[in-house]
Amino acid sequence: MTARQEKPVERLLPAGRDVTFAEIEVTLARLVRDGRRKRGPARALTATVIAIGNPERLVAAADALEQLGETGGVRAILISEGEHTSPVARVTENAIAISGLSPRYLNNAVAALRLSSLPSVVWWRGGSIEALDGLANLADRLVLDIEHPDAVWARADTLFDRTALTDLRWTRLTRWRSAVAHLFDLPQVRAAAAGLRSLSIDTTDVFAARLFAGWLTARLRWSSSVAIDIRVVKGDIATPLARVTAAGDGLGLSLGVRSGTSCLEASVDGAEATARIVPLGDGTLASLIGEELGVRTRDLAFEQALVAAREISA
Amino acid sequence: MSVPPGDGVNPLLDGLRIEPTPEPTALVIFGASGDLTRRKLLPALYKLAQAQRLPARFAIVGVARSPMTDDQFRQHFHDSLKEFSGLQKPDEVSTSLARAMGYVQGEMDDPALYRNLTAKLSEMGSPDGVLFYLATPPGVYGPAVEQLGAAGLTTPATPEGWRRVIVEKPFGTDLESARELNRVLHARLDESQIFRIDHYLGKETVQNLLVFRFANGMFEPVWNRRYIDHVQITAAETVGVERRANYYEGAGALRDMVQNHLMQVLAMIAMEPPIAFSAENVRDRKHDVLASIQPILEGRDDNVVRAQYEAGWVSGAEVPAYRADEGVNPASTTETYVALRLQLDSWRWAGVPFYLRTGKRLPKRTTEIAIQFRRPPLHIFKRISPTAIASNLLIVNVQPDEGISVRFEAKLPGSRMQLAPVMMNFRYGSAFGVPVPEAYETLLLDAMLGDPTLFARHDFVEASWALITPIHEAWKASGAKTVPSYEAGEWGPREADAMMAADNRRWRTL
Repeated sequence: MTARQEKPVERLLPAGRDVTFAEIEVTLARLVRDGRRKRGPARALTATVIAIGNPERLVAAADALEQLGETGGVRAILISEGEHTSPVARVTENAIAISGLSPRYLNNAVAALRLSSLPSVVWWRGGSIEALDGLANLADRLVLDIEHPDAVWARADTLFDRTALTDLRWTRLTRWRSAVAHLFDLPQVRAAAAGLRSLSIDTTDVFAARLFAGWLTARLRWSSSVAIDIRVVKGDIATPLARVTAAGDGLGLSLGVRSGTSCLEASVDGAEATARIVPLGDGTLASLIGEELGVRTRDLAFEQALVAAREISA
Repeated sequence: MSVPPGDGVNPLLDGLRIEPTPEPTALVIFGASGDLTRRKLLPALYKLAQAQRLPARFAIVGVARSPMTDDQFRQHFHDSLKEFSGLQKPDEVSTSLARAMGYVQGEMDDPALYRNLTAKLSEMGSPDGVLFYLATPPGVYGPAVEQLGAAGLTTPATPEGWRRVIVEKPFGTDLESARELNRVLHARLDESQIFRIDHYLGKETVQNLLVFRFANGMFEPVWNRRYIDHVQITAAETVGVERRANYYEGAGALRDMVQNHLMQVLAMIAMEPPIAFSAENVRDRKHDVLASIQPILEGRDDNVVRAQYEAGWVSGAEVPAYRADEGVNPASTTETYVALRLQLDSWRWAGVPFYLRTGKRLPKRTTEIAIQFRRPPLHIFKRISPTAIASNLLIVNVQPDEGISVRFEAKLPGSRMQLAPVMMNFRYGSAFGVPVPEAYETLLLDAMLGDPTLFARHDFVEASWALITPIHEAWKASGAKTVPSYEAGEWGPREADAMMAADNRRWRTL
């Protein structure tokens, strides 16, 4: 084991135990047994979450999965890519970290370590796209979480049929989508929706804004006559949208983060009684991935939104 | 630009991760100043608002006899959240919800109240979907529905509108009064508008019984008389009658717990598979269960045990006897504990007893269903293993720690063949990593969405009273001045143990 290899896994699982790949399962069993002696009966496990990315991006993922492990029964696997075919591994009771694994064997590692018969969710925080293709055959769900997703989005059509694909940006939009959908519960909004002519989005994340606009475009069957304007503003990427307005003949909708709060206000212009204020949620990686674990089916709304988003420029 | 698809249908609902919300709704709570509203309903509404489950247009109108302004009712709401939701000061969500609140004061049988309510709903710009929640003493149900009907409030003004009424327990006090109440409600409402609430049915584990039984292929084949020895359903409370002595004196454990909660749980355990997961199919099959229960007092005279708690020690403190509790008649014969042996006349359950027990001032607060399987036909290890084989057990924990456990035999590690029972546990709270919703959140939302699956239908309520009422009549006819007793903090009277012993069985130690 070299010093260069040791550092990443230590950072990911500081309290873990270093083992070879072949020793992972037996060490896990021992840790679980010892842990149970202290803490009582084991919990039912519900899924495997496999986070893949460079070591820096995996540290945040490790923290999130640790939080998730405290409230839910998941096995966490963290893998950074490298050139090693016999990588260093480190394990704790609920997590496995593997550092510097050759992308060629990513599939093999995941196949060996995932919990059998339970869903596997791959949390893709970056890496080689070839490896991603292979993982799509193993994962029940593939969650993209990369800064520039254009290249993956471009080949999304090849992934849709093999796994349930989503993007963590989409997860961050859940509450925004619900808020605007609830406005469409109002008969007067539905009746006037055909008259919408423009959509304006202030955003800290252009890709999230494109997805949101893509979703509306797909669901409302907008043609090119609806003007979409996306403007980048400064802010926290965890709250990807700052303000959304849609306007047209006899109808104006607006959604925005209320100043100084973590709440979203959605309203129909001129209809005071319809204003809704809803919390945006804590937006942490743990809660976002937790939400993804609750989705067990292919997300057709996302797929349609992504296809439409690819045609929208910022 | 093209018109959104599905004229009249919200095109954005498909694929939303947060479940669809109800159509615009006004919720009218009768008994708005009462305990149930403060403890359960208002906190549940706040949680629903937090989770974006309330409709885009939503109004809450409180109705009660206490004089209160709109602002005072809003403050009542904030106080409730402080006490029961841990919300120390109003936040954006609670403030927003409070803005949609109004209050109407009056006597429940006074037509003026209903005129004022109509005006208030109109003033608040309320939609034509209105849910009336009768969180009142049961004596008010009839007059309130009668007046709602007379004021035209039970009929929507538009074809898209709807009017529904949630009725709290107790639904009647015996078969005759339940029938009469149903008659009164049906005079003004269609059965599809009536939602008789039983908060046990809102519990995740109780709903999961249907999934557990009918979405798994491995349990249903053994879910019958061939493999199951007996079933025990326990609902134990550590509390006494608290501030409910006035109600409880007239009710007792049989009316308070068995007629509604335990019968519902029993029906979920024993029902045949519905042909589809629809409200009417599920409720039909549940009703079949009650229809198959043998008359409880026929055949054996030890099918029912009642008792009352004496002074004792519970939850780390000495507690007085029931008869010494505030508001209780010192000569009361009201039962605080009841145990029953039920037999079902059905192909599936013939010969399998269902034992039900519930009581106050028991050692711990727990509700569980224990399904005990028959032992293997032959104990092939008896010559080499000194331990007897424990029966397989499937335990459904309804509260406080919702989940399912399975007990089975395993070999103890070592060279000797020693057997020991082990438990496999599944817990909602730790498996999925998401909070389990409170029963009232689930049920309020279902009523707003118009889904009656988890509510009691009129025929179920009447069938349940038809089983229970003869017991009350027999107790009354006996003229007993005393009832068996148990010490507070113990698991019930010795008569209940004797009932099990007569069948060569024992109550589970919880």
